[in-house]
Amino acid sequence: MHDELASKLSSLVSTSSAVAHMATLGDSNVTVESVSILEVCRALKSEGFNVCQCITATDYADRIELTYILADFTKNLELLLKTNVPRGDGNGNNKDTLPKINSVVSVWNGANFLERECYDMMGINFVGHPDLRRILTPDDWQGYPLRRDYIVQEKYLDMVVNPPAKINTEDHMFGKKLREEIGDPKKVSVSWKDTSGDPIAEEEAKDGE
Amino acid sequence: MSSHHEPIDKIMLGDQEILKSDLLTLNMGPQHPATHGVLRVEIKTDSEIVVDAIPHLGYLHRCFEKHAEHLDYRGVIPYVDRMDYLGAMSMEWGYALTIEKMLGTEVPKRAEYIRVLVAELQRIASHLVYFGTYGIDMGAFTTFLYCFQDREEILRIFEELSGARMLYNYIWIGGVWNDINDDQLTRVKNFVDRFEPELHKYHTLVGQNKIFIERTAHVGILTKEQCLDYGATGPVLRGSGVNWDLRKNRPYGMYEKFDFDVVVGRGEKGTTGDCWDRYYVRIFEMFESIKIIRQVLDGIEEGPVMGKVPKIIKVPAGEIYMRTECPRGELGYHLISDGGKTPYRLKVKSSCFTHVSMLPIIAPGQMVADLVASIGSIDIVLGEVDR
Repeated sequence: MHDELASKLSSLVSTSSAVAHMATLGDSNVTVESVSILEVCRALKSEGFNVCQCITATDYADRIELTYILADFTKNLELLLKTNVPRGDGNGNNKDTLPKINSVVSVWNGANFLERECYDMMGINFVGHPDLRRILTPDDWQGYPLRRDYIVQEKYLDMVVNPPAKINTEDHMFGKKLREEIGDPKKVSVSWKDTSGDPIAEEEAKDGE
Repeated sequence: MSSHHEPIDKIMLGDQEILKSDLLTLNMGPQHPATHGVLRVEIKTDSEIVVDAIPHLGYLHRCFEKHAEHLDYRGVIPYVDRMDYLGAMSMEWGYALTIEKMLGTEVPKRAEYIRVLVAELQRIASHLVYFGTYGIDMGAFTTFLYCFQDREEILRIFEELSGARMLYNYIWIGGVWNDINDDQLTRVKNFVDRFEPELHKYHTLVGQNKIFIERTAHVGILTKEQCLDYGATGPVLRGSGVNWDLRKNRPYGMYEKFDFDVVVGRGEKGTTGDCWDRYYVRIFEMFESIKIIRQVLDGIEEGPVMGKVPKIIKVPAGEIYMRTECPRGELGYHLISDGGKTPYRLKVKSSCFTHVSMLPIIAPGQMVADLVASIGSIDIVLGEVDR
């Protein structure tokens, strides 16, 4: 099914350069170029993929991979459509520095909230989205939590985020151990700021106890 | 009751504008019993008519997906429980299936039976909470007491089985934590025998009640096309007349062995896809669950309840998307593994999140009280919406 779809997509949308990746374990997928995502989604909808189940993103060291999970309820099919965008700059709360991709809300209305969640959590600017606001975190939150290099902001509206007394140190130690074991900081996702060697933070931690 | 209403912009006397009315913004929630949790709906009203409703989410956001990235595969299960805290067993099962499919683990027959049993009991318990609280939304307090009494019985069985009343950590990767004994099976049997006629009684008491029908029929209509466009699943989709149930269409676990029907809304009291249809689907799904439970009780085999799973679970590199039918709709786990001890990325597709996104299309043109009925009828759990 994936091979057929990929060749069909390539012929329908010339810029898509769709490639089918067949997996021996788990699910296969079709990867397309990010510039053609809107045309590809339109073509897929006319092919029968009437439901957009989920839009999700994964942060790799050099790129962000977007996965559109589509389903065809009449033929009972499921498709993982993938595309890659550059990482951009995910610090702060600025839409202009984020990677851009066309929004597919005009194809499936259900993509509205899904894209908002993706923007909020992973920092992807969906161009043409009718209402691209943060959805799960407050509007003025800094950073995009599911990115691997994310560090929690220290203060939000004069409130200390993650006061030392409330941080689960076991989690922290677990992350530290993992980082030492694996040795590659990009592979370990630990949000908590490492306070060892920072005299102010260490003192704060003592006050908390 | 949901008549379409033109908002009054101005009242004219001759050519002179004498009274200008404006829209009133009203915040429903986050601490409001009718939103069933901490959901804030910003409503713009013109007198009693809702013009626009904007849901604001995130009050229960814990960033489960980030947590999952640095937990080992077994350690994720208690977190999964806390998403849909009214349907924890189904949440666990979906997660366990995802990992088992990647590992190629074979789950023993008895464990499969127990999983179906607890998942269906959980479905009944979850729908009972819906039914009870929906009664309160509609002004009928009695249903709440009836339903919670019955739900209590299920929770007691679960408590004996797993040690916890709501957040079980019972379904593990490879099987279930603890075997079920004959005494517990008898209790389940006694429960369904007693509960089935009771449920008929509740349906007569509430579903055929004139006031209840007036409040729910023709209210909060979602058409088939809208549901598919927004990606709604579960009882909401079936209430709109779409015959789609993952237990039938993409069978997992042991569901292909069991004989049961998919309940679809037909617009019996009003229009297809209204609040009464969603009520109807959930009530009759409970009867179907009872059917399945009876078949489990007849067919359950002796044997081990835990398959062979390595001590340290390392899922081979790859990805998978696994969907299961939970009480509230489809739950999907999208797992990307790089071969390590922890998931590289675990995304949860929540049905409630999708259903909340439909509020802006249900709400316009409704009375404020009907909006309460609509929110109740899509049956959201905010723990799953915000994750």
